[in-house]
Amino acid sequence: MSELQLSDVRKSYGGFEVIKGVDLDIRSGEFVVFVGPSGCGKSTLLRMIAGLEDITSGDLTIDDVLMNDVDPSKRGIAMVFQSYALYPHMTVRENMGFALRFAGVPKAEIEKRVSEAAGILELGPLLDRKPKQLSGGQRQRVAIGRAIVRHPKIFLFDEPLSNLDAELRVHMRIEIARLHKQLAATIIYVTHDQVEAMTLADKIVVMRGGVVEQVGSPLDLYDDPANLFVAGFIGSPKMNFLKGVIEAADGRTYARLPDYGDARIPVNARAAPETRVTIGIRPEHFNDQGSASLDLTIDMLEHLGGETFAYARHGNGELVVIETKNGRGLKAGERIAARFDPACALVFDADGKRLR
Amino acid sequence: MKNGIGRIATATFTYGFLGLMAFLSIFPFIWMVLGASNSSIDIIKGRILPGEAFTANVGKFFTTVNVPLVFWNSAKVAIFATVLTLAVSSLAGYGFEMFRSRHRERVYRAMLLTLMIPFAALMIPLFIMMGKAGLINTHIAVVLPSIGSAFVIFYFRQSTKAFPSELRDAAKVDGLKEWQIFLFIYVPVMRSTYAAAFIIVFMTAWNNYLWPLIVLQSNETKTITLVISSLASAYYPDYGVVMVGTILATLPTLAVFFFMQRQFVQGMLGSVK
Ligand SMILES: Nc1ncnc2c1ncn2[C@@H]1O[C@H](COP(=O)(O)OP(=O)(O)OP(=O)(O)O)[C@@H](O)[C@H]1O
Ligand SMILES: [Mg+2]
Repeated sequence: MSELQLSDVRKSYGGFEVIKGVDLDIRSGEFVVFVGPSGCGKSTLLRMIAGLEDITSGDLTIDDVLMNDVDPSKRGIAMVFQSYALYPHMTVRENMGFALRFAGVPKAEIEKRVSEAAGILELGPLLDRKPKQLSGGQRQRVAIGRAIVRHPKIFLFDEPLSNLDAELRVHMRIEIARLHKQLAATIIYVTHDQVEAMTLADKIVVMRGGVVEQVGSPLDLYDDPANLFVAGFIGSPKMNFLKGVIEAADGRTYARLPDYGDARIPVNARAAPETRVTIGIRPEHFNDQGSASLDLTIDMLEHLGGETFAYARHGNGELVVIETKNGRGLKAGERIAARFDPACALVFDADGKRLR
Repeated sequence: MKNGIGRIATATFTYGFLGLMAFLSIFPFIWMVLGASNSSIDIIKGRILPGEAFTANVGKFFTTVNVPLVFWNSAKVAIFATVLTLAVSSLAGYGFEMFRSRHRERVYRAMLLTLMIPFAALMIPLFIMMGKAGLINTHIAVVLPSIGSAFVIFYFRQSTKAFPSELRDAAKVDGLKEWQIFLFIYVPVMRSTYAAAFIIVFMTAWNNYLWPLIVLQSNETKTITLVISSLASAYYPDYGVVMVGTILATLPTLAVFFFMQRQFVQGMLGSVK
């Protein structure tokens, strides 16, 4: 069952289009994460779903009801803002009950829902404090509590963790994952933190320049990116991109790395020989058992204890990042043959589209 | 490194300068209080010591002036002017900052330009307008021109820049209409801005002289500033009595300032931190 549906949704400011035709289906109970570089329109799209920005054209439906012109408070959504946006002159209790008071919910019911949410989020002892007297993490929880009490169909989060320090971020990330299970709610979550996207999402929506580049489960996007952009965006450290060329041999098509000897990557898609392509290899896909190898000179090493990142260069100037478990013995300036399994390498055409 | 003598010299200069400035600010007050206790002749002679005529001056002030009526007039004008100015100008400041429109900045700049028109140039057209509206010699005529104050609108727009727009978004998602957001979120959040504006507008309205002088013509409508000035410009002005009036006229603004001092300072620094 599809709960929220966007069809050819667009948004322009003045004459400038920032959302360029987005189609998206979100199922009930799904945790959907919007990722993409800064300025790609994630917040704008989320705010259009919330009703805080007008939809220039296209349809937004929730439970098959057209929502384009419905008031934000009547869409069955609740939103958690990056700056928390707690009302500074109200206590935690008043902040959480405010929307319900406005909706005319009876006092006893408000009390019940506020204490219920406070229980879930362990806010009980803080109910009579003002936002100013709370830590960042506590404010965050109040902001989530304020959303929960409304029993929305869909929760919207806009970079909710970006104002927290690293440790608290991990903690709240786990908390949000737990909440998703506990409330069985639909969540749409904006972030530019990859780890948040990979760990939280059932479905990731990768955006760039107002366009959806690819939609899929985290591992689908990691294993099977549709294009160069998604391949480079998902995964850390970034996928290495090397210049390659198409070659036909034995009735099959390969992508070859002309600068690196005889490494060949099989390509099933049709491609004319001599076409220039880009070959992508993830840093973590280098290992000693690989059948292909790259001749490189180590530029620099980063030892993280468990693993090592080697930044290695080829004579043609290309920089390759290699992640290895047993790199403690490596030295800068050393020549290595970095081995990888050609089946793990990805091939992209000149427009950045994946050749499978 | 500064040596001891240099440091002492700097300190002497600093404190000397500050002391002089403090004295200059407070001297009119001292003179006002001392003057109220002296007879008119002593004041003219330049006596600046406490005298014995205080009760006589006070008595004379209360017999020549209908004090309750005059204060009631002043209070009515000042309070109405302040409340209306704050309400209208803060709404305008909020509107200018929150709503995008194509001509917003042009309209805003045009409005700021009106700050450069001296009141003397507006006086006569305003008087004619009030005359046509049949409002001469009413308090409404005193209050009306001050309500849409370009300066107060400017002050509120500048302060509104610090008002987080996500609060407005949150309130919209919570189901508030625009006017409810203004009333239940903006006003309470910006209360120190309101306090600072209250003091400024109240003082201006209370001390306003020129415009009331023109539109208020009968004794029943006159405010305290007009009454004091008419005492001072009498054929034989009694300066002791004038000083008593001045002290009384100063008290309300002093009280307002003392009670709202903290919010005033906060408001000048910005409401939202
Ligand atoms: N009110 C506005 N008027 C004009 N342009 C706007 C407005 N709001 C956003 N934009 C533009 O729309 C584009 C998308 O902005 P948006 O805030 O959605 O990006 P984002 O993906 O959330 O970025 P970030 O990760 O930095 O938050 C940007 O190019 C931005 O400049
Ligand atoms: Mg954003």
